[in-house]
Amino acid sequence: MTLLDLQRAFRAQIAATDEAGPPDTPGMGVYRNGYRGRLLAALETTFERTRRWTGPEPFAAAARHYVLNRPPTSWTLDLYGVDFPALLEMLFAENPEAADLAWFELGLQRAYAAPDAPTLEAATLAEAGYADDDWDRMTFELAAGFGQRAARTDCIALWSRLADAPGDAAVAPAPIPEGRVLVWRGGETTRFRWAEAEEAAALDRLGRGEGFAVLAAEVDGARLGGWLGRWLGEGLLARAIVSRSR
Amino acid sequence: MIDAIPAFTGFGLGLRAPHHQAFLDAEQPVDFVEIISENFMACGGRAMRTLEAVRERHPVAMHGVSMSLGSPEGLDRDYLKALGDLARRLDPLWVSDHLCWTRVGGLGTHDLLPLPYTEEALAVCVANVRRAQDVLERPLLIENPSSYVTFPESTMGEAQFLAALAAESGCHLLLDVNNVHVSSVNHGFDPCAFLDALPADRVRQMHLAGHSAGPQGLLIDTHDAPVCEAVWRLYAAAVARFGPCATMIERDDAIPPLEELLAELSHARACAEAGSLAA
Repeated sequence: MTLLDLQRAFRAQIAATDEAGPPDTPGMGVYRNGYRGRLLAALETTFERTRRWTGPEPFAAAARHYVLNRPPTSWTLDLYGVDFPALLEMLFAENPEAADLAWFELGLQRAYAAPDAPTLEAATLAEAGYADDDWDRMTFELAAGFGQRAARTDCIALWSRLADAPGDAAVAPAPIPEGRVLVWRGGETTRFRWAEAEEAAALDRLGRGEGFAVLAAEVDGARLGGWLGRWLGEGLLARAIVSRSR
Repeated sequence: MIDAIPAFTGFGLGLRAPHHQAFLDAEQPVDFVEIISENFMACGGRAMRTLEAVRERHPVAMHGVSMSLGSPEGLDRDYLKALGDLARRLDPLWVSDHLCWTRVGGLGTHDLLPLPYTEEALAVCVANVRRAQDVLERPLLIENPSSYVTFPESTMGEAQFLAALAAESGCHLLLDVNNVHVSSVNHGFDPCAFLDALPADRVRQMHLAGHSAGPQGLLIDTHDAPVCEAVWRLYAAAVARFGPCATMIERDDAIPPLEELLAELSHARACAEAGSLAA
């Protein structure tokens, strides 16, 4: 048996379900328990308040399902739960708060540790003295860790209410607002808020590299100007880039 | 390429989140701190600012858990790049990882999995260590892990494997004294013979940690308890054999107040002094 074959067989045994039978030796049992335990612990850490919301047993059942069906592919456990909100959406169809809250917790974690990006200040943009022609060729990079979701429930309010909730204490569902949830980091501060759908769509397009001029051609000038001012004030933009070619 | 590991013999602690504020508030009586490299790779924000502030006060050693040096599929290019970026940013005392594999077929395990000690595995590890050292432009320190199984395919012992790896790759060694104790109990070998089989001039750092009892007499390397008496005795024997060596205490679970770990570190200093005198 080659080393690669041995490692494949070893991994298959520690990642196997209990239905596949007990591990070959007590030592292999230690590795199997360690594998599962670390992944479950990573989910419990990332989705701490989601667990409070669903209750520990339903959460544990969902987490076990996830661990058995989603082997990790990254070298960091921080990213392990990236598909967990989608699983909760499926498993907790009658409880949409669970998936929204899980997405929000994951978003906060990712924004907190995202690689550094500069913050574009309004004064910097003003001092640059861009000409109209520059604005026609301008794109923006968004802040570190930016993400958005069309949440069906007010996960921001629910997340705040769960901060001090002891254990499984029931928390009244939050009213459902309109729009999308935004999460990002400005400097060292993780930020979040609701945005109306049109504003969130504009940010999404900017984040995909679409030119500011394209937005300006479609959105009312005063409205877009208002958004831009707010984005600059909130540290939602990292940098302005003026393309050299048209 | 930095050819040599600096002659550094201080006493340090792992930099863990519950103690970040204490390290920011005041200078702590440690000679260095050790970080888990992966916690700061491709990372920014407050965590990185904290590390940079601590780095102003203390030398930093980078300790990795995901390089997967025993992978016949080779090392992950993106991982190595992120590790190299962090090393250039921190200018650490050294960069270390484990004699193990952590992933296969694109799937991670997030565990330090054991290798059969064969010529094939040695060739794989030598090639991977050389590649990592080329990318990082510095020698690595390789740590002996705890293990809970052995392989009938093995043709040499773990210590002999480490000695051959150091000789062929130019790496140095990080001796985890607790891991020697744990594996010696689990597999029934003489821990002092393990120490004797290591090349003395290659050991540059030692780890101390606690463990717990597992099923059927196995010891588990849990890093959730104080260093036990048997490990302190083995540490004294290691200092007697290898001389003064950078030493740190690892605690990754059930992390106590910093003062408790500093007291344990003081005990390590006393133990090392006694071990040096006994040499």
